[in-house]
Amino acid sequence: MAASKKVITREEWEKKLNDVKIRKEDMNKLVMNFLVTEGFVEAAEKFRKESGTEHIDLATITDRMAVKKAVQSGNVEDAIEKVNDLNPEILDTNPQLYFHLQQQRLIELIRNGKIEEALEFAQEELAPRGEENQSFLEDLERTVALLAFEDVSNCPVGELLDISQRLKTASEVNAAILTSQSHEKDPKLPSLLKMLIWAQNQLDEKAAYPHIKDLSSAKLEDPVI
Amino acid sequence: MTTPSVETLPSDSILDRLTSSDSEIKLKAIREVKNQIIGNRTKNLSYINLGAVPAVAAALSDSDSATNLIVQAAAALGSFACGVDAGVSAVLEAGAFPHLIRLLSSSEEKVVDAASRSLRMIYQSKLAPKYDFFKQENMQFLLSLLDSENENLTVLGAGIVIHSCETSAEQSILCYAGALEKLTSLLDGSLSQLDASLDSLAAIVKNNPEAGSKFVELDSGRALSSVIELTKDRYPQTKLLACLCLICLLGDSGQVGDEASFAFSRLIAEKEDLQKVAFDANAIDKFHGFLQKHPLKPKRLEGMFLALADLCAKLECCRSSFLSSEVLNLVVDALTHDDASVRTAACICLRSVSRSFKNLNAGRFMNERIVFPLVQLLSDLSTSVQVAALAAISNIVVDFMPHKSTFMQCGGVKELVQLTKAMDSSLRLNAVRALRNMLFLTDKMCKEVIFVELTASSMASLICDPESCVQVQALALVRNFVDGCVYSVEYAFAEDGIILDAVGKQLRKSSKVEIGIQGLYVLSNIASGNEFHKEAVMQLLFPQAENGSQSFFNQFLQSNDNHLRAAAIWVITNLTFPESPGAFGRIVNLRSLGIVSQIKKMFNDSCMDVKLRARIALGQIITFGDG
Repeated sequence: MAASKKVITREEWEKKLNDVKIRKEDMNKLVMNFLVTEGFVEAAEKFRKESGTEHIDLATITDRMAVKKAVQSGNVEDAIEKVNDLNPEILDTNPQLYFHLQQQRLIELIRNGKIEEALEFAQEELAPRGEENQSFLEDLERTVALLAFEDVSNCPVGELLDISQRLKTASEVNAAILTSQSHEKDPKLPSLLKMLIWAQNQLDEKAAYPHIKDLSSAKLEDPVI
Repeated sequence: MTTPSVETLPSDSILDRLTSSDSEIKLKAIREVKNQIIGNRTKNLSYINLGAVPAVAAALSDSDSATNLIVQAAAALGSFACGVDAGVSAVLEAGAFPHLIRLLSSSEEKVVDAASRSLRMIYQSKLAPKYDFFKQENMQFLLSLLDSENENLTVLGAGIVIHSCETSAEQSILCYAGALEKLTSLLDGSLSQLDASLDSLAAIVKNNPEAGSKFVELDSGRALSSVIELTKDRYPQTKLLACLCLICLLGDSGQVGDEASFAFSRLIAEKEDLQKVAFDANAIDKFHGFLQKHPLKPKRLEGMFLALADLCAKLECCRSSFLSSEVLNLVVDALTHDDASVRTAACICLRSVSRSFKNLNAGRFMNERIVFPLVQLLSDLSTSVQVAALAAISNIVVDFMPHKSTFMQCGGVKELVQLTKAMDSSLRLNAVRALRNMLFLTDKMCKEVIFVELTASSMASLICDPESCVQVQALALVRNFVDGCVYSVEYAFAEDGIILDAVGKQLRKSSKVEIGIQGLYVLSNIASGNEFHKEAVMQLLFPQAENGSQSFFNQFLQSNDNHLRAAAIWVITNLTFPESPGAFGRIVNLRSLGIVSQIKKMFNDSCMDVKLRARIALGQIITFGDG
């Protein structure tokens, strides 16, 4: 029932918003948190210089990005070695991540047509993981199924060869490294925007007010009465 | 697990390369082994069997080894020891342990990191050598680890405490040396520092009241409040450790014990997983022990009873353990405690334990020792005590025959009826609920006693109580009254049918689903009686002047609520029971009112229960011909 809602005009709304004070340093920290978590090393370095905002050791971002990039370009073995140099505990204590990296290695072998090597690798490296943990078996079977098809790109498990599978594995490694560095694995900004949308939805039930629809421009839309 | 054969390893002799005099080859080989075994248990065991550990360990003792070689070797040894006891013993046998300790003092940060990580892995195993805290230089070294700026060193220090602090003498010397202060400061650190700190604090204060009070006095109680704060942490592992830390502190005789039990109770409330953890940590036995220490301050007793109540809220294993110990007696004794909050907490505890169906069935709670003081509490001066006592009684009276007489002999019914007339609505609500539960599957004698005491007119006014939650309970109470044989149904017709009128009024007036459901089940029970009873229900549902398709009953049949539709069909099923002489006449009526066609629409209802009920009703209706 729109008729019974309280209406807040643009002027009133902007006046209310003006009363809210946000500290510049907080904004800068949020931006820095975003750049660091997402791995924009150079941007983070520039931003640090220009804004004077503190940051974590940039070398760790560089290492983390190198690992991510290696997975994204299919050099999984290289990525594993880099992770182990960074902190051996990451893969020693995270069997699921370890399995997913080995699975990605198998996928890359199949992509490159190295069928014999792939078979050997599946037997020696992946089969024992499936024995250790039943929950890996399904993924393992799906991956090995790639070997059964002549035209892998058009088979039922073809999506494993998609670039999205690499990205998925890469972001899993990225998150694990962040956690090992006691860093949140997600940036704060998206959560703030989620909260904004949630709060707007709550308020929508009670009032008509200038609403932000387009997050990228954060433009205030006139209230619909 | 099967041990894989050595043949699966690289064919060129890795052992030769590991011990090569060419440091480049050696470095490559060690790094290769490290990358092979990290995360891979099978490979790890293969290399251990092959004898790779002593070869790698040798690199640590060689004074010519370059930094990178030492880092790689230390990391590999850590991975050999990670979660694999065979690896731990191989590393220890190879004599690597003292070298790793020595490397902690290296000036190279990378070396320190790798060595401390490896030592941490070793200290996670029972096979690690016991750390002797009584040697002065050892204690100093440990404190320097905990004081370090390096995160890995602090976590290693905590790991040593977790591994080696077992006896109360060890706990005391750690306290005396100031380990608590240093460990507490790690609570503000990273996630791994936090976990290690909680774990090691628990090791020091466990079953040691002196250490416990020392912890509480730290930083004028700030350390304790951090631990309590951490029970709200979002990482389950941290919560768990904070929980165990609190259990350790419960035995403290100072203020900490008070705080700890309240925090503990907040922590485990509604969380079955944490209740299980607490149970596994022998929380109930611990409480039992603490409760036996006399005299206990009221605040302490209250906190422990509430904690016990939360522990027993869901898990039958907790309740059994509670009942098999002497805790029940201690709680019952507390029903007559001078302090009202203690009396309330004891009642809440009894309510929680008496959720045990098995023990209710065995009549565990229906004895004078428990019931008499509970009934006394019904006239307590404090409303919260009264409400808590009512809630406990509500559970206990579900107890089956023949134990109910105990409750009546103690004067319980009179007290309950008195409270149904209280000004405070929570008292009325809980009193009516207790009576309702008492009437559940009871006998004629019990019903008679309650009816005489409560009276039909009071029941009618409770059905029309200003609070809808009381109305629901009152209707449920009447539903239990008229459940069973024909003599039960007669209760609804006492005092010129004043109860039935009230039910009809509520059904017409109220929009609350729960009221509709309870009201319809009252009618359904009445409709299971004789001809006279059935006709009275017909008359109530479909007065002559009303058009059937607009009747409130038709609205119920079309409700979105599954339970409400099911209840409505139950009434029709009982009204159309084929053996009863008036069934045909009633079916003709129901047809003309459009009720039968409405039920036909429910032949394939989305709710299984409704569908089944509708089919049974239609089956009965069709025995008299279809239209």
